[in-house]
Amino acid sequence: MNQLIQSLVDAISAGAVLGLAALAIGLVFGVIRLANFATGEIITAAAYSLILTWDLGWYISIPISIIVAVLISLLMELAVFSRMRNHGPATLLIASFGLSFLLQRVYELIFGNNVRTAPIASGLAQSIDIGGIRVQMLSVTTIVLAAVLLIALQLFLTKTSLGLQLKAAAADFKTARLVGIPAGRVIGLSFALSGILAAAVAFVLTVQSGAVGPNFGVRITILALIGAVIGGIDKISGSLAGGFLVGFVTSMLASWLPQDLTNFKDAFVFVLVIGVLLFKPSGLLIKGRGVVRT
Amino acid sequence: MSTADTRQGLHVENLEVAYNGVPAVRGISFEVNAGEAIGLIGPNGAGKSSTLLAIMGATPRSGLVTVHGNDISGLAPEKVVRTGLALVPEGRHVFTELSVMDNLRLGAVARRDKSSYKEALEHVLDLFPILRDFGHRHAGLLSGGQQQQLAIGRALMSDPDILMLDEPSLGLSPTAVDTVFEALDVVRKAGKAVLIVEQRAEFTIAFSDRTYVLHDGVITLSLKPEDAENVEVLTEAYFG
Repeated sequence: MNQLIQSLVDAISAGAVLGLAALAIGLVFGVIRLANFATGEIITAAAYSLILTWDLGWYISIPISIIVAVLISLLMELAVFSRMRNHGPATLLIASFGLSFLLQRVYELIFGNNVRTAPIASGLAQSIDIGGIRVQMLSVTTIVLAAVLLIALQLFLTKTSLGLQLKAAAADFKTARLVGIPAGRVIGLSFALSGILAAAVAFVLTVQSGAVGPNFGVRITILALIGAVIGGIDKISGSLAGGFLVGFVTSMLASWLPQDLTNFKDAFVFVLVIGVLLFKPSGLLIKGRGVVRT
Repeated sequence: MSTADTRQGLHVENLEVAYNGVPAVRGISFEVNAGEAIGLIGPNGAGKSSTLLAIMGATPRSGLVTVHGNDISGLAPEKVVRTGLALVPEGRHVFTELSVMDNLRLGAVARRDKSSYKEALEHVLDLFPILRDFGHRHAGLLSGGQQQQLAIGRALMSDPDILMLDEPSLGLSPTAVDTVFEALDVVRKAGKAVLIVEQRAEFTIAFSDRTYVLHDGVITLSLKPEDAENVEVLTEAYFG
């Protein structure tokens, strides 16, 4: 029983991280139809920032990593994607692949191919006893961090004019512009929020691994993209739910699959993904076949 | 935005729109002045919606479009709204996952005078009382007629001088159409210019001060309200 609860807490934590990463992708996709594969490199940049500045104190290092993530995210939009505004989603996706590989090589040039390490928030690696059940501090912290971020995001999207503008643009960008919502403002906002979420993901992953290399953000971005698609990337909540589901299932498989099968856990996840896409190609939270937008 | 002349209202001169080299609108010209309602009718594919989208800067075009004498060429849709134009798009396109009040709030993003927001909201809610009753309901839960009222209310929240509507009667019950046109009459009488694109010819001709018939991207006829019941004129308007 204890083992089940422990694995459930870990799975919720893994789902929360992947949910945040999928949300970072879904927010931008909702507005400009870009599934930004280079989100992984925003995560990597934030992770390097944490590793390189942790000695200065967490209260300096964490804000620096958030600022770096937001700046890189905005820079991607300004330098690359804003110049392709009139091109289709396929062009934007390919551009994001290119940007991703380019940044990985840039990180390799600057930081080398070997991983950089630092004991980031090592206190969180300990286990705590809650009602006789031992759970990892990091899992609890991750769940709390994700909950706080989601509540803050929800309040921002529903209670502020800027948030409403972003929500409207994510639902129907063309109409939003006809209503008078400035395109540049909401696009910039979506990239900035995506950067903040990427920084949160980077923090959790860096605490987990304590090591960062040039390809640090690639795996979670692939899984987050898959999650966003199966949840319904057309909806902000769809991306979040899909990301959570993929993270949750992956973690549960890691805990409960027989030892000799755990290396194949991703394969099981992909079988699940294919199954979902066969029956709900537009995503679990999208009614019908999804929204076709031009 | 450069100053072109001192004329008031909306002036369209030699407007052309093409999609992948295929012309949709071929050099049309018309004007809409304060307190005036102008209709634009014609069969499917005549270029009516393209005309409105081109005026809003939502589709590439050539020709001159001025609002109160200011050339709005090259402006993005969100900037065109700030010159005093508002479009109620075909199919209403309300933000279905947002509440009625949030939709109206978004309409006010482009208001030039932010201080009069509350008065504008009260004015819209008086014009369409159903929006007051359903203020906190998701827009997606409203009927087609209620959504149309919301779409017009949202456009009015930007305090436009010129209100443009693309097929406002599409898919509505006769009662809902009456409600919409009664409200548009109030808007016109308040001194705003109204430009309506419609397929329902009789209704539009009767309501509008002038109605232009569009065929293959060209204005072929100009009609007066008394032409609304003239079968010959209507047949000419639609079948050429």
